[in-house]
Amino acid sequence: MSDIDIKRISYLAKLKLPSEKEEFYSNSLKDIIKWVDNLKKVDTSKIEPLHNVTEKTVSIRNDVVSKSNSVDDVLSNAPERAQNFFKVPKVVE
Amino acid sequence: MKNSISQIKKSLIEKKISVGELYDEYSAKAKSGNNNSFNLVIDRENNISSINDSQNRYDNGNPLPLDGIPLGIKDLFCTKGIRTTASSKILSNFIPNYESFVTQQLLNDGSIFIGKNNCDEFAMGSSNETSYFGPVINPWKNKNSQKDNLVPGGSSGGSAAAVAEGSCVASMGTDTGGSIRQPASLCGIVGLKPTFGSCSRWGIVAFASSLDQAGPLTNCVEDAAYILNSINKHDFNDSTSSNHQREDYLIDINNSLEKKIKIGIPSDYLEDVSDDILNQIDNTKKALSKHGIEFVDVEFKTTEYALSTYYILAPAEASSNLARYDGVRYGVREDGESLDDIYLNSRTKGFGDEVTRRILIGAYVLSAGYYDAYYRQAQKVRRLIKNDFQRILNEVDFILTPTTPNEAFKIGDKLDPISMYKNDIYTVPTSLAGLPGISIPSGLSKNGLPLGVQFIGNYFEEKTLLQLAALAEKELSFNE
Repeated sequence: MSDIDIKRISYLAKLKLPSEKEEFYSNSLKDIIKWVDNLKKVDTSKIEPLHNVTEKTVSIRNDVVSKSNSVDDVLSNAPERAQNFFKVPKVVE
Repeated sequence: MKNSISQIKKSLIEKKISVGELYDEYSAKAKSGNNNSFNLVIDRENNISSINDSQNRYDNGNPLPLDGIPLGIKDLFCTKGIRTTASSKILSNFIPNYESFVTQQLLNDGSIFIGKNNCDEFAMGSSNETSYFGPVINPWKNKNSQKDNLVPGGSSGGSAAAVAEGSCVASMGTDTGGSIRQPASLCGIVGLKPTFGSCSRWGIVAFASSLDQAGPLTNCVEDAAYILNSINKHDFNDSTSSNHQREDYLIDINNSLEKKIKIGIPSDYLEDVSDDILNQIDNTKKALSKHGIEFVDVEFKTTEYALSTYYILAPAEASSNLARYDGVRYGVREDGESLDDIYLNSRTKGFGDEVTRRILIGAYVLSAGYYDAYYRQAQKVRRLIKNDFQRILNEVDFILTPTTPNEAFKIGDKLDPISMYKNDIYTVPTSLAGLPGISIPSGLSKNGLPLGVQFIGNYFEEKTLLQLAALAEKELSFNE
């Protein structure tokens, strides 16, 4: 197992770990990854990955337009809104 | 106050109690909140029209299947107009505009919601200690150290404690790796995880979508059949919802099973277990042998890989599912100068330690360079685990296992995540295989705490699974 780059992982997860907690999470992750490492010894060369245990029962509805949420419903939980939009700080430079 | 749904309905029909009185009795107990089993108790005025409608139906002699029955709902189900938090800070102000499919079925059948049950944050935990709203206390006490507060199990810990303390007749929970069955076992009640694909996931706050399944926590097996009849329906809003024909789970539940039954006991599950746990299996075996049920030893080849597989796949799916919490569309926003700062600050301050840990595990096993070695390998091993179960279910009709490796432990006792994860050793394999499992109380430990056994059945065979569980329950019934 290679070393865990906790800064990179937290960046991928859009988390900003406080520096005093970086070591805590880094050690915790190391322990868990070491613990799950036993899977590597299983021979799966002829096995397909399983995505959905009930793969035979998947049902897809007909593609018919239906009305569900209104704009007001969708925006009602927004921390900040402006007219019919979610409001965030300016993104364009 | 531990009446079954059919007993309560009888009292309502015979007018020994009114729907309003029944509601007030349970609601008062929920409000007293001694065990912190509810995140929110619904105000009476918000339920008054449901109470009146239900009473009218009883008065007119045509009550619905769950009419007037006071239920708890795990705070992971979206409930229209009622705060739904997943026991997380990041959703602590979230009020859904729609009702989850499962809770809508329960409302359609006349039940009345007492409130939202506490649970582990985003259902990630086995002790209900990761909740933003504080731990839930198990109503049971160790008779050798009465002062200690014990965990109810998790993640549906509030649901289990609420049913055990009598503040709701039954509660809706969710189970990803044992979150219904394990707390049911530690609180001395019944917990059913149906086959994956039975009950729609639509409107349930997502944790690991290939594993999450809704199911009831109840006082008895018959009550589980009542709830399952209501919620087990096909739903086009969940593409993994199966559209097979459902049975009536209540009819014939107390009739003996038609054919001769063979039950497998996995010998590899019972290595190094305590006498307390072994006793549960022995008692169950003895009780059911009287009914001509045959027991045989079976052996899994994949048990040692189940937890590793689960703790790769579930966090991977969680890290993806929880990407939606961005501080922009709903939930709590922490301010920042840029949009990126808002994402980072909202997520970092909004998630607790265990959720953060799982998101990090997930991000790691999905990241470039590790995806094949961990995530894809785990998906392959998952198929081997499923095949292993199918091999055994070709030889036997059901599998009997302990539900948990131990009794309820003290709040704050298990600090190391891996020792916490090991709590789910008997429930996780069933979840990975997508099979139905039910935990029923089977006896008490030396410390006087409840323990349970788990029966596992074949895909969508909940009807016979419930019949078997009802028979075992009758034989094993213990009085507090």
